Amino acid sequence: MSPALSRRVLLGGAGALATSFATGIAHARVLPNDMGPLIGAGYRATEPDEKGMWQQMERVEEEVSGSNLLIKEPRLTAYLSSLIGKVGGPAAKDMRIYLARIPEFNAIMFPTGFAVVFSGLLLRMRNEAQLAGVVAHESAHFLRKHQLRQWRDMRRKTDAFSFLMMGAGLAGGAAGIYAGDLVQLAQLGTVLSLLKYNRTLEAEADAMGVRLLADAGYDPMAMSETWEQLIGELDLSAKYRRKKRDRNFSLFETHPAPEARMADLKISAAEVKQPGRTYDAYYSRYQEALATIRPTLLDDQVKLNDPGASQYVIDTLAKDGWDGLLRFQEGEIWRLRNRSGDDVRAAQGYAAAVLYPDAPPNAWRWHGIMLLKQGHRAEARSAFARYLQMAPDAPDAALVRQMMIG
Amino acid sequence: MRRLGIALLASVALSGCVQTRQYADVEFSPPQGNYKLLVMRPDVSVGSVTTGGLVEPRADWTESARAKLLAALRAQQAARGGDVFIMEKRSSLPGVDPEMVAELERLHYAVGSSIALHKYSGDYLPTKRGKGLDWTLGEDAVALGRRTGYDFALFLYAEDSFASSGRVGLQVLGIAGCFVGFCAANIGGGGQFAYASLADLRTGDVVWFNIVSARSQIAGIKMGDIRTDEGAAQLVDRLLDRMKPGRNVQRRQAKIQ
Repeated sequence: MSPALSRRVLLGGAGALATSFATGIAHARVLPNDMGPLIGAGYRATEPDEKGMWQQMERVEEEVSGSNLLIKEPRLTAYLSSLIGKVGGPAAKDMRIYLARIPEFNAIMFPTGFAVVFSGLLLRMRNEAQLAGVVAHESAHFLRKHQLRQWRDMRRKTDAFSFLMMGAGLAGGAAGIYAGDLVQLAQLGTVLSLLKYNRTLEAEADAMGVRLLADAGYDPMAMSETWEQLIGELDLSAKYRRKKRDRNFSLFETHPAPEARMADLKISAAEVKQPGRTYDAYYSRYQEALATIRPTLLDDQVKLNDPGASQYVIDTLAKDGWDGLLRFQEGEIWRLRNRSGDDVRAAQGYAAAVLYPDAPPNAWRWHGIMLLKQGHRAEARSAFARYLQMAPDAPDAALVRQMMIG
Repeated sequence: MRRLGIALLASVALSGCVQTRQYADVEFSPPQGNYKLLVMRPDVSVGSVTTGGLVEPRADWTESARAKLLAALRAQQAARGGDVFIMEKRSSLPGVDPEMVAELERLHYAVGSSIALHKYSGDYLPTKRGKGLDWTLGEDAVALGRRTGYDFALFLYAEDSFASSGRVGLQVLGIAGCFVGFCAANIGGGGQFAYASLADLRTGDVVWFNIVSARSQIAGIKMGDIRTDEGAAQLVDRLLDRMKPGRNVQRRQAKIQ
């Protein structure tokens, strides 16, 4: 065995270890002031790798824009576009936004500047500032060319890894050592550093998002509130399922831990606020924009039958005041879970809902059914009468009339 | 289309050669003479294989490969006597809503995925044993045929990739290693993959399906190049020019002879 060659194998191994240590969980906050846009208005791909990516993304956008999952209500889509116009920085006029009917907390930005916002996100936001915060974060991904930088980073690291692997194999082969274990270690190092780069980009998007938000006159604290809400929802959802929220937001996560993000966002928000300027959350404008679609959004969420998450979402929205719709859907959560005692909670929800003038017809229907089950025939009859009065053409009108007689 | 391509590709053993594998409806006879063929917008992508083995799409290569493939397809079909229309966009058909075309493409994606799974990936269905190719696009395809007067619709997918100089360098290193006992003579990199699916617009059935895989396990050795006239013609030839009739048709022909 040649000592020189075996030392090279060891060096290869040490290099791999160093890579994995470099991806440790410690992180430093990205400063909003350092986050200027990397592209201007009307940006088009320039380099070959970026052009290839754009060409593929054009096909993706064609599919997305033609998807039947999209909510195409003109007023709502115009409203979303106006938000991207406010917080989109220099590319405000170039970016597109699509609203998909998916009851999840998510939004995705694609490398060519179009974003897909999930309807579950609209439901969870309490005001326009919170939604604009998410849109600003997604815009930042585009403005800072994150997808391209991510791809280049991955290419560079897999290139380096291939040579390292081949080098270790060659050296090992020459020295008669099996280098497989070291190669695996190097592979782990490569994967870990890829994820780290991803987390750095998310932190960049947060920092820049806060800045775009404050520049547009929104309260930049809205972004950390959003994270607070996400953490609360995940916790309650897990608790109702008698599980712990997945706390492994460390080495193998692409996004930084929500707690860390929330803390960083708070500090950054304070940093970007200018003395003397007023910042607003635009609560009522948001309520108005969402008025027609909110019943559908709530219904989609509650039908996921994730009682912890649904209850959290409803409680969060109710911080700005209860209404008939929220109370009705609160009843629905328990009726759908249907464990022992849940019928009582559901009945309480319906009974509370009908006290509000904006209670939906279905609240009266279910209130009537619950009263009937409890043996309160006369009250049930008047609840059903109210239901039929509000929804005379309901598909189950004949059935309800039958229940009133029987 | 792309993911369907990946599913089909996974079914072809990765060896350094050219492979094709076709299936046909038992009553299929290859179109000849006076037929009208509609070629749905071909999905083409060409990329470069990075040193680390990732495929990086290249817009300029893709564009030239698409143009060459369309030209080769026109020449090949003209030789067979067919009346061919190639859709370059979803809106290329006059009088047909692009959304109708998009719906049919999506439907074919789902049906093609099922063919990939049950004919190529080994999850064979006992209910389809001995039935040749037994899939249909149904009424939507028939409606398109009625609206446009075409007899057949052809769905095409082709990808090609070429090893970058870094990948070739890595390959050279791997072969050099054979002299010291660490042999990585076939790291692979680059290659062609394509599939074609023919639907009969009078019945809506998918009557013929074929895949072509042409790849080398040694990075740097090309098995074809669809960016060139010859390469594109070669792929069209491998993919479409050797259509075999379905089983029942073959048996009847054997009896006559």
